[in-house]
Amino acid sequence: MKKKAPPVGSKIQPVLRLEHLTKRYGSFTALNNLTLSLNAGQILGLIGPNGAGKTTTIKILVGLIRPTSGKATIAGVDCVRESQQIKRLVGYMPDKFGVYDNMRVREYLDFFGAAFGMQRDRRTKRIDDVMELTGTEYMKDRFVESLSHGMQQRVGLARTLLHDPKVLILDEPVNGLDPQARIEMRDLLIELARQGKTLLVTSHILPELARICHQVAILTNGTLRAMGTVDEIGRQVNHRRTIEAQLVSADQVPAAAKIIRKCIESKADVVEAPAEATVRFRSALHESEMSDVLAHLMQAGIRVTQFREVQTDLEETFMSFARHQGAAAEKKQAVAGAKSHA
Amino acid sequence: MLSALLRRELLTPLRRRRMAVFQIGLATLFGLLVVIRWPTGGQVALSGARSQQIFQLFSYGLMATLLLLLPVFPATSIVSEKKSGTLALLLNSPLGPLRIFTAKLLAVLSMAGMILAMSLPAAAACYCMGGLSLYGDMLKVYQLLALVALQYAAIGLLVSSYAQSVDSAVRMTYGIVLSTSLLTLGPSYFFQGTGGTLATLGEALRALSPLSSLPGAGSMGGQGLMAKTDAQGRFLAWSLACTVLASVWTVRRLNHKLFDQSRSAGTMSDDLSLPAQLFRRLFFLVDPQKRSMGIPNFVNPVMAKEFRCRRFGRLHWLLRLVAVCAVLSLGLTYATTAGTFDWGVEMIGGIMVVMQVALIVLIAPSLSAGLISTERELGGWQLLQTTPLSVSRIIGGKLLSALLPLMLVLCATMPGYLVMAYIDPGMWLQVQRVLICLALTALFSMFCSAAVGCLSARTAAATASAYGVLLAISGLPLLIWMGRDAPFGHDAVEASLSFSSIAAAFSVIRMPGFQHYNLIPANWWFLGIGSAASLILLLARTYRLSRPQ
Repeated sequence: MKKKAPPVGSKIQPVLRLEHLTKRYGSFTALNNLTLSLNAGQILGLIGPNGAGKTTTIKILVGLIRPTSGKATIAGVDCVRESQQIKRLVGYMPDKFGVYDNMRVREYLDFFGAAFGMQRDRRTKRIDDVMELTGTEYMKDRFVESLSHGMQQRVGLARTLLHDPKVLILDEPVNGLDPQARIEMRDLLIELARQGKTLLVTSHILPELARICHQVAILTNGTLRAMGTVDEIGRQVNHRRTIEAQLVSADQVPAAAKIIRKCIESKADVVEAPAEATVRFRSALHESEMSDVLAHLMQAGIRVTQFREVQTDLEETFMSFARHQGAAAEKKQAVAGAKSHA
Repeated sequence: MLSALLRRELLTPLRRRRMAVFQIGLATLFGLLVVIRWPTGGQVALSGARSQQIFQLFSYGLMATLLLLLPVFPATSIVSEKKSGTLALLLNSPLGPLRIFTAKLLAVLSMAGMILAMSLPAAAACYCMGGLSLYGDMLKVYQLLALVALQYAAIGLLVSSYAQSVDSAVRMTYGIVLSTSLLTLGPSYFFQGTGGTLATLGEALRALSPLSSLPGAGSMGGQGLMAKTDAQGRFLAWSLACTVLASVWTVRRLNHKLFDQSRSAGTMSDDLSLPAQLFRRLFFLVDPQKRSMGIPNFVNPVMAKEFRCRRFGRLHWLLRLVAVCAVLSLGLTYATTAGTFDWGVEMIGGIMVVMQVALIVLIAPSLSAGLISTERELGGWQLLQTTPLSVSRIIGGKLLSALLPLMLVLCATMPGYLVMAYIDPGMWLQVQRVLICLALTALFSMFCSAAVGCLSARTAAATASAYGVLLAISGLPLLIWMGRDAPFGHDAVEASLSFSSIAAAFSVIRMPGFQHYNLIPANWWFLGIGSAASLILLLARTYRLSRPQ
């Protein structure tokens, strides 16, 4: 069962807002007219292939990059013009852990607390709190450079939380973590959202994002392709549903597949799985047409125990995007080739 | 396979634009040296004295170039591969440790060959001026330079195999190069003309320096022709022994154990019994294993961070360094007053100045060259940018963290100078001037290293270029001083010495050989303006780096 942070009420105003954000490097467009918003206490998952513009978006939000055009605000504060205020509002965890040699974990956190102007007494207490929250208490005397990647990720998150920011921007927080650490990190992020923090998270491990995010935004080539819940995006992307027919006997699988192929679109995928006695197919048929498929199977003497729609997961959705993008690129190339040939 | 590795080792640095600029610059510099002394009239000096003078300077310049530039390549070779993970791949390949080492050594030697090749046109011009023997003079110098390259390449690779970070490898290698090539000359210079064990030891140490085998080195310390010839043989033996030992040692170290070095947190003193805690407190004064208190509210956090990040920057190490400096300076002064050495106060002052300037020149770049580049390389700069710390606070904290150890080192030798002024009250003004010289040297070294270092994105490049620039500013005028009276006149030598802080301190303390030059206040102006310009460059560069892209 999916475990998510509690839903957010409609009265809550967007904390993070991007309006027509564009970033160009010469002729290369890293981010193209990106517009999105995120409410307080929500977790937004930003996904996309390498070079899609995820890190550029994040860096604009934390004031490390200046956009070519457009506007980014966090809690009403402009990320470009009021970068000093943004630093106190945002906790940023980059994908690369900033190691300081010869420093112990507690000293490392103490430095960043002092850098945010926290008074020593308050800082000491706050360090204890974040170390307890992130489960890093046991490594307080260890040298930062000797920590494993997973430990560094935890310390990085503790550092991000030190100044109690409203918004957390985490670049690949579960990258390189073992399964147990990944589950712990996931629970921690959900807990932070429950405490009212707004989180923007990027990750390549899509099932993780699907489990924790209220919303997901898919970026490719610097353009926002889709945004919403995982189910909403699935519906936006996949016009075809995946249907699975579970049979009583594996012997009937080829016959069932033959009938299904006759009933659905000519190019639709039909996958036979005799070991599981199932036939899975993707089709854009309506409900009434689907019932006709089932009727045909029954008439042919195929004994069906289940005939159901399979939920699309984030990975499949993302792969659909990749397929669409690949097809579009091929088409564009073919058109260009034809033009040059002409 | 060996050639593939060698090609990779050699081509990577050669692809950089900086390397091309450097090679052209070097060839131009050597060419200029010959051009300024090329005969302009219709007469030819039959004695060949002029070309010998030029060649002497030229060979010293070439040696200095090699000593300043070459160590960075072997020093970074193994440790940078270890850090980036490619050394593990190499060790996992069919290439054995011997082949890896040989390829790395040959790459460094090829680099040295390229540096020497840049000097060949100028050497040929010297030869054309006459008075030089191809085999007797020129080939001997190039043989010596090749030997030096071999020795320091092997030592640099050995240091690199031990180092845990690139900058520590560079620092350690330059430390070894400076101590074996320059500091080994000190004892023989100060004990010349005396007998006994100290003089013999000084002479033995002198043979370890490649500078003692260069043409004209005999006149430097007044050791005579026999001593020079002997020094060449001794240096050859020492250099080859060093090379073989360092090579065997490095090859033995190139195995999986290099990666088997997890760093233990150690037992914290706070977890020990009370008597044990008290004992450690007494022994260390500042216990490195005691849990640090939080950074006080009034302290610049960046400064505290810089101190905590340095293994040898922590307070207990600084106290040890200061204690050594204090004991050495007082010991030297005591030895003179007790009549152990027949030295004047000027000589003692000279030794102290040499030691202090050497310490400053060695410490300052290692403290301040990587202030910005280390942050950029390790990803800390991005994190600093996301904190509310202003550029001026970051720079202020970083510079303070470099300045305080330097000032501590200077203050540690104060007792020695005070005793000196007590022995000879007439020297009080000179002592004051020397202290101003040293303080300005420390400031200039720090600002200059920080400014040069902030231009590089990598710590190794930053540290190496800072050492190069600083040693060139301090040492190159001394090369011209060596050619005083011939080929350079008094005014030219004085003008060039005005750039060197060590020469200014020598002239103030009336060190033999420098007493005729009036370098103050020209040197102070240079150091002051140089420091200000470096600070402006540092601030401008850091401000630019801290702005959103």
